[in-house]
Amino acid sequence: MGRLTAPDTADAGTPARGWLDAPLESGSAAGFGVYLHVPFCHHRCGYCDFATEAVGGLADDDRDALLRRYVAALERDLATQAATVGERAVTSVFVGGGTPTLLPPDLLARVVGLVGRELDVAADVELTVECNPETADVDRFAVLADAGVDRVSMGAQSFDAGVLAVLERRHRPRRTAEAVALARAAGIPRVSLDLIYGTPGEDAAAWRDSLAAVLALGVDHVSAYALGVHANTPLGRAVAAGTVPAPDDDVQRERFDDLRQLLRGAGFVHYELANLARTDALRSRHNVLYWRHGDYLGVGVGAHGHHDGRRWWTTRSTARYLAALEQDVADGGVARDASGRVRDVTEEERLDDEARALERLLLGLRLAEGLHPRDVPPIAREALESAVADGLVTTACGRLQATADGWFLLDEAVRRLTA
Amino acid sequence: MPTTVTYPQARIRNFCIVAHVDHGKSTLADRMLQVTGSIDPRKMRDQYLDRMDIERERGITIKAQTVRMPYRPLGDVGDEYLLNLIDTPGHVDFSYEVSRAIAACEGAVLLIDAAQGLEAQTLANLYLALEADLEIIPVLNKIDLPAARPDEIAEEIGSILGVEPASIIRISAKDGTNVDAVLDAVVDRVPPPAGDADGPTRALVFDSVYDPYRGALVYFRIVDGRLRRGDRIRMLATGFEGEVDTLAVQSPDEAAVDELGVGEVGVLAAAIKSVESAKVGDTITRAGRDAAHVPPLPGYQEPLPMVFSGLFPLDSDDFPLLRDALEKLRLNDASFTFEPETSVALGFGFRCGFLGLLHLEIVMERIDREFRIPLVTTAPSVRYRVTLTDAPGEDGLPRTVEVPNPQDMPEAGRIATVAEPTVTARILTPKDALGPIMQLCEQRRGEMLAMDYLTPERVELRYRLPLAATVTDFFDQLKSLSRGYASMDYELSDYVEAPLVRVDLLLNGDPVDAFSAIVHRDDAYHFGRTMTERLKELIPRQMFDIPVQAAIGAKVIARETIKARRKDVLAKCYGGDVSRKRKLLEKQKEGKKRMKSVGSVEIPPEAFVSALRVSRDG
Ligand SMILES: Nc1nc2c(ncn2[C@@H]2O[C@H](COP(=O)(O)OP(=O)(O)OP(=O)(O)O)[C@@H](O)[C@H]2O)c(=O)[nH]1
Ligand SMILES: C[S@@+](CC[C@H](N)C(=O)[O-])C[C@H]1O[C@@H](n2cnc3c(N)ncnc32)[C@H](O)[C@@H]1O
Ligand SMILES: [Mg+2]
Repeated sequence: MGRLTAPDTADAGTPARGWLDAPLESGSAAGFGVYLHVPFCHHRCGYCDFATEAVGGLADDDRDALLRRYVAALERDLATQAATVGERAVTSVFVGGGTPTLLPPDLLARVVGLVGRELDVAADVELTVECNPETADVDRFAVLADAGVDRVSMGAQSFDAGVLAVLERRHRPRRTAEAVALARAAGIPRVSLDLIYGTPGEDAAAWRDSLAAVLALGVDHVSAYALGVHANTPLGRAVAAGTVPAPDDDVQRERFDDLRQLLRGAGFVHYELANLARTDALRSRHNVLYWRHGDYLGVGVGAHGHHDGRRWWTTRSTARYLAALEQDVADGGVARDASGRVRDVTEEERLDDEARALERLLLGLRLAEGLHPRDVPPIAREALESAVADGLVTTACGRLQATADGWFLLDEAVRRLTA
Repeated sequence: MPTTVTYPQARIRNFCIVAHVDHGKSTLADRMLQVTGSIDPRKMRDQYLDRMDIERERGITIKAQTVRMPYRPLGDVGDEYLLNLIDTPGHVDFSYEVSRAIAACEGAVLLIDAAQGLEAQTLANLYLALEADLEIIPVLNKIDLPAARPDEIAEEIGSILGVEPASIIRISAKDGTNVDAVLDAVVDRVPPPAGDADGPTRALVFDSVYDPYRGALVYFRIVDGRLRRGDRIRMLATGFEGEVDTLAVQSPDEAAVDELGVGEVGVLAAAIKSVESAKVGDTITRAGRDAAHVPPLPGYQEPLPMVFSGLFPLDSDDFPLLRDALEKLRLNDASFTFEPETSVALGFGFRCGFLGLLHLEIVMERIDREFRIPLVTTAPSVRYRVTLTDAPGEDGLPRTVEVPNPQDMPEAGRIATVAEPTVTARILTPKDALGPIMQLCEQRRGEMLAMDYLTPERVELRYRLPLAATVTDFFDQLKSLSRGYASMDYELSDYVEAPLVRVDLLLNGDPVDAFSAIVHRDDAYHFGRTMTERLKELIPRQMFDIPVQAAIGAKVIARETIKARRKDVLAKCYGGDVSRKRKLLEKQKEGKKRMKSVGSVEIPPEAFVSALRVSRDG
């Protein structure tokens, strides 16, 4: 079997596992992140299959108590995991959800300050908090700005009222603009918007209008996702029952092509399949860490962590999570398993080299810049030739990259490369 | 402890129950078992004689079953009779089982559902029984049903058989009403077996079944003489010789006996390694110097496979398993055939011959159930006869070849004529559905041979139809046009020339052999269009545009295009959950390994299964 060998490594006697042991940009070289999950939402959207829990129906007191218990658990969870980290400085923190901004300001401040209290943090750490337009207000943005949050990622999804209704979003298009203005006024320097395209009922004009609205707001970052239908969601069931048409692949491809054309035209860098930034410096460092196969802690319900080929994740059930973290053991902490994770609610898997090679490719090729030759795992010659011949990937610039067409066919590209 | 009771010839009655599908044969057999006290009440279950799982699940009889029942008519003190009953299947695919049963009997109970009336197999089986000179006892069943029309139907049968309608016994096999009257009629009217009790032994083999522990089990009826355990026997046709190590009767479970006399029905084992040595229709005699002079009994015609289909393992690694499975199944079912076949698209498999569609379905179900091998089966086809334009054969006649597989059709230039097998079909229908049914027959290229009003309400149609029509949805159509009341029976008839062509399906220019079909010239366009449309639906989009064409020779008659795929990526991979994404890709890679490829086009095996299923529906 032929191997992809970059010119500068062929002779240097690099060990065969150099892509794992001594990567230049990937893996441990990519930085170290922390993901904190806040699962609560007012309402669970029909398309959503994340670990979320609707608390809109709870009485104010009950909800408050639940949120408080959760934040306390999150603190114990991070403390438990922090003990396994060592000296490493955190380069990015991402607080996601759910809806973190559903937390009352004092709890929000505790969550955001958590990492700084438990771990070493790099001087230039990126600290992002996800927020929904309808829950973000002056108080909360002030709390975030005070805590050093330099980036908010806002779930705009669309600027078309009809599309927002299909997605079961509770805000009006105008509200997003107001929320962006509030964040800026509070002194948060970087604002990103999340968009979803290819929603049934969204036509080309509505999508272009949404993109124009994004540009008009002057945000510095955009994440745009093709609507995915998951079987276990209300949307998935509606599609299965035939009451809602399934999103069409060709239409999603057209929306994707519009996205890159319009935003690139406005000066954005399309640095990752679903992410665009005004400049290289404004790329989401936390997301890039994921795509570079980096290490990160996952804290909270349904959160995933990764360290050097070991992946672990916590239960998606808030009740089980709270029960495990509220239980004291003799020395005052929580019960841990052999890897130091919270016992009973954490599962983990250790990947073999083949699985890690697959991951390296499926993640790395999402980035426009692709993989540095030294970070590319072994690929059979025929596999590489077939993927190149069919225009899925290129090695033209010395790096392994998806082509303009191959990007939206990335799963095929990766299956080919690892065949 | 083996029983030794043998019955005097005069007190033996051998009879079978024949009827159309579902008219209640097996249920009547149940009641007879109970009335004669042949079965332990605790063991009783419905359709006791339907022993195979597949029979019980489908509620149909596939294999004929014999059972021996002692019976003493009420008031007839002292005289016990021995009744040998054979329950038969009703479905046309298994009519050879009925022929075998009839050859082992002197009488037949002709059962008619009092709500359904006469149906096609009622007549077909009646004629078989009459030809064999059996005493016919007509019986009306299911009189307990609110929809039963016993008077009307008794008239119908009366006029056909030329008997007094009032003399026809009316029963409910379900609740047991009048079942004893049927048994009494059997005793009174069925003649005892006629054979020579003291002559050289001759027994007719009417079934043989493979048993992994005892070898072939041979079911027989003694026509002349007697048989004892320990006897050395000889099969006249196959020449097999061996010693009878088990001699038994079924009453209804197997019970060993020491001896059986003239007219009796039993089963024996003699360490016979394969059912090939114990052919149905063969004559058993006692081995010895005189054996060579014993004249064989008439025997049966072996049923010939009429419908052919390629069976391929979905996963090509299963090929050896499939071969073993087919060999094992054949041990118990000599009526299906198989030989290796290779398909470019589907790899290695077997071309199998069946008696009909139900038979095919049952074999496939058994492969699935007993051997768990996922299969792709090609559309059922019949055996065509092609006369070639090549130089004549040695006998000076034009050369002809038999083509059971569309793939093997010679190229158009070499074909002088193509002939297809036809059947003569008997269709019984209420007169309301007559118009639509005649239309259906014309549409399927039928030629009407006769039409008779059996009664003012019920019509018998006789058609010559291409056998190929019976392997499509013809039967379903017939049922739906008549709201379930029409029925059909058929038997193989002559080969008839017809303008038949082979339609090929091409993906990206490469023919997919498994999809080729032989169709009438007038149907070719419709077939081509339907298949190209369906393949377009079923084959996943790939990296490039794929033309899907139907063609006769080099002439394209239908065309579709599967557009290149433009999206194949999960746009979202959130919160660091890479495991899910990786596992999904790993699963897809597994799926890719199972793909069958034709040229550069990858086809999931399931697409073959679906495409071939729809192509069967005509
Ligand atoms: N109401 C009623 N139903 C009956 C009677 N006899 C049989 N059935 C029902 O008719 C159906 C068919 O009965 P079977 O005894 O399996 O018929 P069969 O003739 O052996 O069928 P095949 O072997 O498939 O040809 C079953 O559901 C029986 O319960 C009867 O006298 N009255
Ligand atoms: C975890 S969600 C953010 C949750 C946040 N509460 C919100 O909805 O604004 C992150 C982003 O993923 C995207 N997303 C969620 N579900 C999706 C789906 N089924 N298909 C495509 N994108 C989806 C949305 O753009 C969403 O803003
Ligand atoms: Mg039956």
